[in-house]
Amino acid sequence: MGSFTQSVGTAFSLIFSADREVYAAVWTSVSTAAWSTVIASLFGLPIGMAIGLSDFPLKRLAVILLNSLMAMPTVVLGLLIFGLLSRQGVLGGLGLLFTPKAIIVGQSLLAIPIIANYALSAVRAADARILPTALTLGASTVQSFNQLTNEIRFGIMAAVIAGFGRVISEVGVAMMLGGNIRWYTRTMTTAIALETSKGEFAFGLALGIVLMLISFSINVGLSSMQEEHQP
Amino acid sequence: MKLRTTKIVLLALLASSPALAQDRLRMSTTTSTENSGLLKVLLPPFEKQCNCHVDVISVGTGKALKLGETGDVDVVLVHARKLEDKFVADGYGLNRRDVMYNDFVIIGPASDPAHVKGTKTSAEAFKRIADSKSTFISRGDESGTHQKEKEIWAEAGVTPQGNWYRSAGQGMGEVITMATEQRAYTLSDRGTYNAFRHGKTDLAVVFEGEKGLFNPYGVIAVNPKKFPHAKYDLAMKFVDFITGPEGQKIIANYKVEGDPIFFVYK
Amino acid sequence: MRVPFYQLAGIEAHYHDKIALMVDELALRGGQLNVVAGLNGSGKSTLLNVLAFLMQPTQGVVKFSGKRVRWDRAQLRELRQSVTLVHQDPFLFRGSVASNVSYGAKARGISGYALQERVRESLELVGLSGFEARNANGLSGGEARRVVLARALACDPEVILLDEPLAYVDELSTRIIESLLVALVHRGVLVVVSSHDPTLGLRLNARTIRLRQGRLIQDSEPQEMYAAKSPENSVYAIL
Repeated sequence: MGSFTQSVGTAFSLIFSADREVYAAVWTSVSTAAWSTVIASLFGLPIGMAIGLSDFPLKRLAVILLNSLMAMPTVVLGLLIFGLLSRQGVLGGLGLLFTPKAIIVGQSLLAIPIIANYALSAVRAADARILPTALTLGASTVQSFNQLTNEIRFGIMAAVIAGFGRVISEVGVAMMLGGNIRWYTRTMTTAIALETSKGEFAFGLALGIVLMLISFSINVGLSSMQEEHQP
Repeated sequence: MKLRTTKIVLLALLASSPALAQDRLRMSTTTSTENSGLLKVLLPPFEKQCNCHVDVISVGTGKALKLGETGDVDVVLVHARKLEDKFVADGYGLNRRDVMYNDFVIIGPASDPAHVKGTKTSAEAFKRIADSKSTFISRGDESGTHQKEKEIWAEAGVTPQGNWYRSAGQGMGEVITMATEQRAYTLSDRGTYNAFRHGKTDLAVVFEGEKGLFNPYGVIAVNPKKFPHAKYDLAMKFVDFITGPEGQKIIANYKVEGDPIFFVYK
Repeated sequence: MRVPFYQLAGIEAHYHDKIALMVDELALRGGQLNVVAGLNGSGKSTLLNVLAFLMQPTQGVVKFSGKRVRWDRAQLRELRQSVTLVHQDPFLFRGSVASNVSYGAKARGISGYALQERVRESLELVGLSGFEARNANGLSGGEARRVVLARALACDPEVILLDEPLAYVDELSTRIIESLLVALVHRGVLVVVSSHDPTLGLRLNARTIRLRQGRLIQDSEPQEMYAAKSPENSVYAIL
């Protein structure tokens, strides 16, 4: 594919030429994804761990539900939140639609099931002796859960990384809720969609390569945080 | 420790919160208008004048108007006269003004297998395409272009159906790309076609110039009585700008690879 | 005679549908070394878990130092400050030996220099002086067992329960652990050790409680009794 090598070349020239528009899109992608991952972790990690550790009658159903939510199509979620955030909607008064905040709302909701699911798995795989050991040494329930989280750090970090990967690569929510507004809510992915609609495939691919490089770099950073704490 | 790194990340994020110091005017328009590239030259002078930002949300015609109907934007710029009139009649918009126009063209493979070239009317052209069962790609998305396409089929007395008629449900750019790949005919606005003409498509214009293919653009401010939060004054400033001498000059002079895309009313 | 630390009455504990433990009456007094002997599956671990307040029996009453155990979270937290259990296959937290050994002491609010001293003393008691900075992950089996014991000692508990502490342990570690247990009892700590070795009780001159299929079948007192535990007689006064 001749245009692929062309795209790779364009990708690097975009990075080094400091194209302001591309940088703006990169910044929007990374910052909305970062905020969304943080918010989603604050909700998803406790939810996943709580379900994993507790025993209740509908537990199996809850786990299946969590699994299914992971497969929520981004456009569907985008549509649902659009309905809420539109001026006609329940939360219309907040005026969030077509702002980066709206993207963050949507992407956080997108990432919560993923992070919760990974946290659930991490807890399930955790050594069953962790909690009783902490408790018998005099720890409170809260302290023993903190210790558990500490022991499954690797799995928790994997959850966060998975959540981040999902949101930085998606286009459905960003497009629906952000509106792809130049300089403001245009992310890398919505920019790629735009270029594709204009028939600018090579440029779209170049943007894609830039996005992948950035994603890769961030993941290297996050993974090194994982490694640091390996015994 | 993870805590320290988390703190650094959070500080960086706070720095990224977008500042909304300036006034923002929200405009919905069609993807073809955005894709023509006109707004990139038309908006900056206005933004400087009013010291504001224009947020452009480009979607299909239907959605562009719907955003006006729900009050999610302050001004609408589309090219679907019948729908625009309904929009105003229903009380969603005020002060519809003509801004610019271009025309629709029928494009198709240069070899013209349906023999469209030389027909006298668009209806006749479409009839030939139907009769020869040549592949035709329709926008299929209730856009202005799609409305026009349906009108022509009606005039030709043809109900298009069959394998040869493909309803894409996408924007003009995507449809032109599809038609190029499948060696098909389609109805396009001249602006998008001109943007694609140089390198992105090898389809040629096989029919043009008919009065009925006239494609006018209208700008409408969203009614403040219905939506008190709508920025009506700023919207009207915008309307005055693009219909005024400065805006009109920019529109008339806008060219892509030497071809004009839009025309202004004299 | 002091009030016994434990008074068990009518205890029944189930594992799935089977009876894991059934004890009509059992009293355990401070300053005593107790061996709970029996084969695998005889209910030794279950008994220790109940005494550690980690498992609530399905039936029966447990009293600790005269107070009835209500098994609610607040009381359990308080009770667990006095009792610690060393599991059969103990778990070391990730990190250094020091962070492990200090865990229980930290949970009791000890910090700073006092904490450092507590860790140092505990490691000295088990013959692992200087091991503070070592990674818990790289220790030998015997060393790991001793670190876990140090971790329990650092809690300065009134009761130490040990589930099979001498299983698969090298000779040096065995000698250290056995002499440590005897020393603890001298200071008034209630020590309960479970073992499938029937001669352990004789060797250590301990009261031997024999279980079979969850039921108490024999209870033989030791020849001597030791003084009850009091604050001045903390474990660390040994040094």
